[in-house]
Amino acid sequence: MAERGALHLWLMQALFAGLAGALVFARLLPLDTAPPGWAGPNLFLALAFAWAVRRPEYVPPLLVAGLALLMDLLFQRPPGLWAALTVIGCEALRRRAPALRDRTFLADWAAVAGTLVAMTLGYRLVLGLLLVDQPSLGLSLMQLLSTLIAYPLVAALSHFIFGVRKRAPGDFSPARSLP
Amino acid sequence: MASDRAQSDDYRGPLRRLLLGVLVICLIGLFLVWRIDSPRVERFRAQVVDRVVPPMDWAMAPVTGAVNILRDFQSYQRMYHKNQELRRELQQMKAWKEAALQLEQENARLLDLNNVQLDPRLTYVTGVVMADSGSPFRQSVLLNVGGRDGIMEGWAAMDGLGLVGRISGLGRNTARVILLTDTSSRVPVTIQPSGQRALVIGDNSPAPLLDFIENAEQVRPGDRVLSSGDGGVFPAGLAVGRVVADRGGRMRVRIAADYERLEFLRVLRSYDHERIEEPGSLIAPDSATPGPQAAAEAGNG
Repeated sequence: MAERGALHLWLMQALFAGLAGALVFARLLPLDTAPPGWAGPNLFLALAFAWAVRRPEYVPPLLVAGLALLMDLLFQRPPGLWAALTVIGCEALRRRAPALRDRTFLADWAAVAGTLVAMTLGYRLVLGLLLVDQPSLGLSLMQLLSTLIAYPLVAALSHFIFGVRKRAPGDFSPARSLP
Repeated sequence: MASDRAQSDDYRGPLRRLLLGVLVICLIGLFLVWRIDSPRVERFRAQVVDRVVPPMDWAMAPVTGAVNILRDFQSYQRMYHKNQELRRELQQMKAWKEAALQLEQENARLLDLNNVQLDPRLTYVTGVVMADSGSPFRQSVLLNVGGRDGIMEGWAAMDGLGLVGRISGLGRNTARVILLTDTSSRVPVTIQPSGQRALVIGDNSPAPLLDFIENAEQVRPGDRVLSSGDGGVFPAGLAVGRVVADRGGRMRVRIAADYERLEFLRVLRSYDHERIEEPGSLIAPDSATPGPQAAAEAGNG
């Protein structure tokens, strides 16, 4: 049973990495090279947050940091800053996960929204302080909003398809029971 | 279970927190290094892209192709109107072709009369677009040609119609082209027929801004915009687009290249020309003083 639990943990972590890879793949497809007037959701962030709230052990910080840094490098962002904020955001939600376990989805959504707004503000503040060229405020806000709108969908998909659910009170936790 | 969690946190917590702190500090350190010494980190970025993207190409090319076929299929529905439109355009084009042929002959005659030498080294390498920037904030595409093919930073990229952008970020197998619409793109241009100099400044909109015009009154919407070759980055005379005025009255450029569908790009080889930096020495070389000095130094050494 314990071995199965460990295997399951590994599989879910691999699934997370695979989903992130698929998102990168979809974003890089050269379908539309004209500048869009809108900014789509940051689905990786929504996915990482949804899983961090539900099953923190599926999204270890090292994995999140590695994937986020890879995305920073591939998507031409300043490398490292957004990745660091993603790790911090995930960790903040992980801390709050036990408290959120018994609450409704709205509380969960609000926590994610707060984290996301704080991250975006922090990102723009640091870039502003270090005089780095920033993306326009409108596009940033649009991305923030669309990520927030996409979050329930991502959470529902994780819940129903990938089986990433909040731990129920009587739930047996195989990963934790390893000696 | 709660008590179990608390117990395990007792000895796991501090270690975990320490590792997390180290991780975050490493990431922020990378960001600071990038801010201080950007070229080195950008080279690292180009190498990472060079490693990561080409292995995905086998899957990306078919998916992109399939989506494009679907889009083409949708356009079949408007086929009749398209056909009519194309016929009309063809009529106009025939007239233009006549004019172009006559002009070409005249041009060849004049070049011959003046004994003009065109730069024979202006040739190009053609690359296929593999990926775009993947972000709504940056406008760039990745080509499947790189340092291996002799591409160098700063060279111009065109599609068949006009200037597309400039190489920035070079790996062994890939090269990134920063498009004219990217916020970091600045290209010096001349506006014909008035001959005004200006800069085309990308601002993440489909039509980049035209700024620093010497005399804005002489520029009219519809004027042609060509690269001017100032600053030695681009060859002069590449078509960029046409001037349009936006609703606020500011001058913008409608780009000639087909940004909706960038598929094959030509990267123009442009080598550094010899620069003349000392105007005086050409006219009046003062060869009398440096000669003996150099000889004396050589003797002392």
